[in-house]
Amino acid sequence: MATTTETAAAAPSLKRRFMELLAKPWSGVAMLLVFYLILIAVFSILSPFFFNTRNMLQIGLNVAYIGLMAAAGTPLIIAGGLDLSVAAIAGLTGVMISLLVGLGVPVWVAVGLALALAAAIGVANGLFTTRLKLNPLITTLGMMSIVSGIALVLTGGLTRPLMIPGFNWIGNERLFSIPIPLIIMVVTFFALWLVMTKTKFGRFIYAAGGNAEASRLIGIPVERTVIVLYVISALAGAVAGTILGAMLGAAGPNAAGSQLLTVIAAIILGGTSLNGGRGSVWGTLLAVLILGTLNNGLTLLNVSSFWQDVTRGVVLMLAVSLDQLRNRALGE
Amino acid sequence: MSSTARLSMRGIDKSFGGVPVLSNVELTLEAGEVVALLGSNGAGKSTLVKILTGLYSRDAGTVEVDGQAVVFGKPADAIAAGVKLLPQEISVMPDLSVGENILLGDLPMKPGFGFKQVDYKTIHIRATELLAQLGFEALDTHQDVKRLSVAEQRIVEIARAIAGQARILIMDEPTAALTEQEAELLFAIIRRLKEQRVSVVYISHYMSEVFEISDRIVVLRDGRNAGDFVTATTNKAEVLAAMLGATAGDLYPTEPPPPPGTDVLKVEGFGVRGKIADVSFAVRSGEILGIFGLVGSGVEVLGRALYGAVHSERSGQVTLDGRPYRPSTPQHGKEAGIGFVAAERKKEGIIADLTVRENIALPFQSRFTRGLFVSTEAETGHAQNWIRDLGIRTRGPEQKLRTLSGGNQQKVCLARWLVEGVKLLILEEPTRGVDIGARREIYGKLRELTAKGYAVIILSSDVEEVAGISDRSLVLDRGRVVEQFPRGVTPAALMAATAETQTA
Repeated sequence: MATTTETAAAAPSLKRRFMELLAKPWSGVAMLLVFYLILIAVFSILSPFFFNTRNMLQIGLNVAYIGLMAAAGTPLIIAGGLDLSVAAIAGLTGVMISLLVGLGVPVWVAVGLALALAAAIGVANGLFTTRLKLNPLITTLGMMSIVSGIALVLTGGLTRPLMIPGFNWIGNERLFSIPIPLIIMVVTFFALWLVMTKTKFGRFIYAAGGNAEASRLIGIPVERTVIVLYVISALAGAVAGTILGAMLGAAGPNAAGSQLLTVIAAIILGGTSLNGGRGSVWGTLLAVLILGTLNNGLTLLNVSSFWQDVTRGVVLMLAVSLDQLRNRALGE
Repeated sequence: MSSTARLSMRGIDKSFGGVPVLSNVELTLEAGEVVALLGSNGAGKSTLVKILTGLYSRDAGTVEVDGQAVVFGKPADAIAAGVKLLPQEISVMPDLSVGENILLGDLPMKPGFGFKQVDYKTIHIRATELLAQLGFEALDTHQDVKRLSVAEQRIVEIARAIAGQARILIMDEPTAALTEQEAELLFAIIRRLKEQRVSVVYISHYMSEVFEISDRIVVLRDGRNAGDFVTATTNKAEVLAAMLGATAGDLYPTEPPPPPGTDVLKVEGFGVRGKIADVSFAVRSGEILGIFGLVGSGVEVLGRALYGAVHSERSGQVTLDGRPYRPSTPQHGKEAGIGFVAAERKKEGIIADLTVRENIALPFQSRFTRGLFVSTEAETGHAQNWIRDLGIRTRGPEQKLRTLSGGNQQKVCLARWLVEGVKLLILEEPTRGVDIGARREIYGKLRELTAKGYAVIILSSDVEEVAGISDRSLVLDRGRVVEQFPRGVTPAALMAATAETQTA
């Protein structure tokens, strides 16, 4: 009898220890960091071109506009929202700047107008999901379709040139040899970290996502908080579109669309719970770097770029599984 | 006798991360016996039940069912051995019929068209038989379960357990969502189950229920057996003493109420469309006003309507400190100086993933913010004060609220409002699902707060609570005030007040 109990107890104890580890608040970020370091080590061994300052900065530059959108999407998902229209907004922004400049509008005014439009789209997303209580997945999927559709209509589906003196530097210049887009991304992450962990508004984000009804009943402006976060996400989409246009010297109506999945994957992989209430921007940043490093490393190893869609999908599904396991670990 | 016991758990040990939760616990159950399992939150009840139902493995000890040693590695093992848990939340498939729900575990099949099909005819015949065993053959087995009342859904759930040949039923707070009459119905079913030699482990915070339905009362305290009583020969005081240990005393504070001050909230002809009509009362500072009502009486709406958390159209006059007061959002109520604690703690009260410190500071976050940033020091100091003052059992202000027991979570919900400027506390079901030790502490604290000038309104469907704590009490029925009582009212009188109108 005693032996059966012991063997029965020994087998699940390893599993239980794993679950207890998952339940720790820092477990997600720690695991990501380890995974990132392993990834760097593996690619360094496999490719002589991988581990050097130039390539590392190149990875940073490649992921900067994706990271921007993922950074802003993180507090939104924590608060219980979701924005699938963010990449479409990036596309429309580039198109708008290009068209407005073509009409003789000064480029920075054009950027300002594009940002204002993005903010309006964010407000619309926010109002639909909070006041009308529509499902954010459906609402922003619809918005994505509308926004990318408009961008296609405006351009006839063509990519427009965006070579404007005094503009393209935000995509191509460096400050202290660090690419400007990378600086913008890191500053955004840092600013959001400050807001989310050190301010009253940040506390409202976690409270609203953790338990919206309880938050409402203690007089927290849940709806306003979520609407503001939709606006921030839309603005990040617009800034991402601006940077991408400046980097490429061209504005495609669907320039960032293929990266929507990367943005969502990074947020979830970064440990933000799809159920809301839990997550951090640092987790998202690590996840963005991991996804960018995977892409870069696989390219250096001459793996077809089509395979990179597969790896991204696998990583996303692993991340969601881990989120589910973590929920279970916390539930017990 | 013990060799033929239906269930015998002996020497059960269980610890989590080195902390013992159960030590040498024993629980026996004869065939057809109803044993109430009592204990404060954290006493080990739920851990014991999880071991019995195969959710946790035990560290040591033996479990025997009908004399057979068993090891439950997973919940399915326990179910196969005839051990079935009815959780507090009813789990039925709303879109399936009564019959399908009852026989879900083993749907009868018949051949036809070359493959096996569900045999609906047999389903309804067998489901009706099972319901007849419980005395509910009148329930139509063809209708969808979502059309049933909560109590009827409970019956379906119990019938399903019997269909699965359950011989040991564990009922966790089975009356939580039921009205008094529905609870009586449940007790009638339990008595029928007894006749059929089904054994029941009955878990409840309601002492009166336990005394009504159980044969034996087993008390756990701090993970150990603290008492085993034959219900017929014991009394509440004895059981309470076992639950609370040496410190047992009165559940409700005995000190006299402070002299009442001025009217804080005055309500005249207050109504909420479709829920409440023509309610008038006043509550003074230093006073605890109890409002008793059964589910559906309006007791679940009145408090939140006065706080500003109800959207429906309201009528009547409300004044707060002599000034007209018409809240339409919780923010209004809060800014006017009202604190509100909702009935459903998990759904409407706690923010489980935030810490104790963050939860306490949340409603008045601006007061803990210096310039742009939240001051963690200010929050910590404030939280530590109330952790000490309210006796919140936690490792410290940085512990996540989800890991605290129900009673301690409730104290955190209360602590949120104990800041300057709040003068009225509206508390819904303030001790629902709270263990007896914490209940006593909460009641004592409310008395203390009134001495400091707070006015308190308690809305509750727990008749003993309203009778025990109130300086004055109202009885709500069908949205109207039907009676008022001074301090010292008996639970029977409160209950009678609702019963009168219901038969009239």
